[in-house]
Amino acid sequence: MIGNDIVDLKQAAKDSNWKRPRFLDKIFTPREQQLIWSAKDQDQMVWLLWSMKEAAYKVNVQQFGTRFFNPKRLECTLLSNLKGEVIIEDNRYFIESIITEDFIYSIALIASGKSYKSEWFLDHSQDYDAQSKCLKRSFLKTLNLDEVTIIKNNIGVPKLQHNSDLLDVSFSLTHHGAFSGYAIL
Amino acid sequence: MTKEELISKLKTIVQPYIQNEDAFNNLSEATDFINDLKINSANLVDVILDVEDEFDIRIENDDMEKMTSVKAAMDIVNEKLAAK
Repeated sequence: MIGNDIVDLKQAAKDSNWKRPRFLDKIFTPREQQLIWSAKDQDQMVWLLWSMKEAAYKVNVQQFGTRFFNPKRLECTLLSNLKGEVIIEDNRYFIESIITEDFIYSIALIASGKSYKSEWFLDHSQDYDAQSKCLKRSFLKTLNLDEVTIIKNNIGVPKLQHNSDLLDVSFSLTHHGAFSGYAIL
Repeated sequence: MTKEELISKLKTIVQPYIQNEDAFNNLSEATDFINDLKINSANLVDVILDVEDEFDIRIENDDMEKMTSVKAAMDIVNEKLAAK
């Protein structure tokens, strides 16, 4: 299974004030907060850890079918600048990230080294729905399959549907601010 | 506080973060913060902090974990207010 998450850093700076009292405490473990405060670029570290957690969470939800909102239950470890792990209870997820000045993009996998296809792209339409539709269109185009649509299951996990059959394919979609991305195993 | 008053307070709190106007205009107990209102999950933290400030309560992570809908938020606020 695969999960992804993209953070537009400009959008994040506009939307979230992570220095707000109690904000970090709700999301990050003491060890993660240490990483943030000791980072050269604290904003980047906040959103790197955040995107790692989000990507791992998306895999966890596909695996176990239960939604929850408790980012602190997922703990990140950085193995290098662009590789890390996220642990949720007994489950470990391997993370690969792309970091640029403009965005951070993380992909989570259950097994490290598994091959996948992923792409990110710019989308300047400001509207949430328009962006979501454009992302789905771009993703479906790369699949090159006829009559396949994307639906969300009862817990909000996107699935591919062909006629009335759900396809057994794991993929993940993300968009934030001016950036979108998809990942598929 | 009546149920309607509580919903209306929650509605004011979530307004700055919503990304779906229709779902917001039709907000009810069944509304999901993420799937319906399309609140991004980092802003869901802001919603929770705003709820804490508005009602002068503290929401532990175990309670926060369930707070993905208006109904769940109402239950937790009521529970915390009752325990005051």
